[in-house]
Amino acid sequence: MAHAPMFARAMGLPTRLALYCLFSLALMVVDSHYGPWTGLRSVAVRLVYPVQVVLSKPFEFLGEAGDFFTVHGKLVKENQQLILQSQIFASRLQGYAAIKQENEQLRKLLNLPSPPGTRPLVAEIVRVQPDPFDRRVIIDRGAADGVEAGRPVVDASGLIGQVTRVYPASSEISLLTAKEQAAPVQNERNGLRLIVSGTGTDDQLEVRYLDMHADVKPGDVLVTSGIDGVFPPGIPTARVLQVEPPRQTPFAKVICQPIGEIERHRHVLVLIRTEARK
Amino acid sequence: MITDKPLVPQGPELRAPVSGRLVLGSLVLAYLATQLPWPDGIRWLIPDFTLLVLLYWCIHAPHRANLGLALFLGLLTDFTLGGLLGQHALTYTLAAFAALTLRRRLENFQVSGRALHLVPIFFGQQTLTLLLGLAFHLPDVDWRFLIAGLFAAPVWIPVAHVLDRLTGWTNNMNIEPADKGALTRGGARLQNGGRSMK
Repeated sequence: MAHAPMFARAMGLPTRLALYCLFSLALMVVDSHYGPWTGLRSVAVRLVYPVQVVLSKPFEFLGEAGDFFTVHGKLVKENQQLILQSQIFASRLQGYAAIKQENEQLRKLLNLPSPPGTRPLVAEIVRVQPDPFDRRVIIDRGAADGVEAGRPVVDASGLIGQVTRVYPASSEISLLTAKEQAAPVQNERNGLRLIVSGTGTDDQLEVRYLDMHADVKPGDVLVTSGIDGVFPPGIPTARVLQVEPPRQTPFAKVICQPIGEIERHRHVLVLIRTEARK
Repeated sequence: MITDKPLVPQGPELRAPVSGRLVLGSLVLAYLATQLPWPDGIRWLIPDFTLLVLLYWCIHAPHRANLGLALFLGLLTDFTLGGLLGQHALTYTLAAFAALTLRRRLENFQVSGRALHLVPIFFGQQTLTLLLGLAFHLPDVDWRFLIAGLFAAPVWIPVAHVLDRLTGWTNNMNIEPADKGALTRGGARLQNGGRSMK
């Protein structure tokens, strides 16, 4: 940039400030009211994503260096593969257990469609967004691998979140513990339908606005009900810790603990649609 | 009007303008430092290095770092974080404006004095960012991130020392008038001339 000419008829600093502020404000209004600019965003993310991956490498390397010196490298690799495999098997088992838990007779009678055809896709968390507003992580699978926005994300033990934005080679997961995130669930013990939402802390979920006479007890397991058409039924989601009786409101509140091990693993499974169902 | 500071830079003050390569390089480094995957527990403590370096250049190289650059860096940060578009663009621009307005005054201070002046700018920027997010984006916010705003000024000090070294900036700007006695006889009060800066 050249030096400013001495007698230029340039805009003054306050004028430019006002102009830029208006521009930013307009951007914010448009962005928050007229939906995300997926086109623009995906271009930007495609440029930024490689940088983020490269930056996460040295940290990964430091983490793995310890393993390298204690255990033979080959063993580490094999072990990692086995862990991945066991996670895939566990998620399949999860599905079977859920089907067993459901009342098969009722399902036959009602002639419900079979659980949505999904396929687990292993993804690695490459980055946790440092956002003071939300709990989101970035995984290394994107539209190219068949990930779609809205698909549920699980780990070996239970539901951990949902895909909220998909980019070509990466996607963004909103964790179940985010305050904005909710999942329709069913009490495994008696089939009571509830909606569980995040609280913004890592190890706590809650059911808000619960009928004060609802039959929920500490220790109950909540599994996804599948009535929203987003989460397939039967994924373990939360374990009830405590039922708070209504105090000033007519509603009770249930404090739960997520079953999925949120923010404890590097790998997650995205349940993507199988081709047959498209 | 007699000032102890000559209007045209002289002596050690006459430095080559800061090279664009240095400005760009330091900003890229700062941006990358902000993007490092900091551990979860201390993420809310990590100041925005991009803003740190941007404000340094606003004070010391205003012909390179202007409001347009601030807007651009803000948009870049917005895209990277994937939050609300324009949030950081607005706050960076305002912070840069504040720094550009203050810079003549800041030139008379040591690094720590400058950092002290920047505290309200950093803190205000962080507060405004959170408030904007609260207003436009999501109804809940982790207020611990405010601490990053306070933490930015102490981090700015070493950064400014390094950049001072790289640009050759010294605080030794006040050139002693040739005849001090003549000035005092003339009734001119030396505002800063009395202060010895190394």
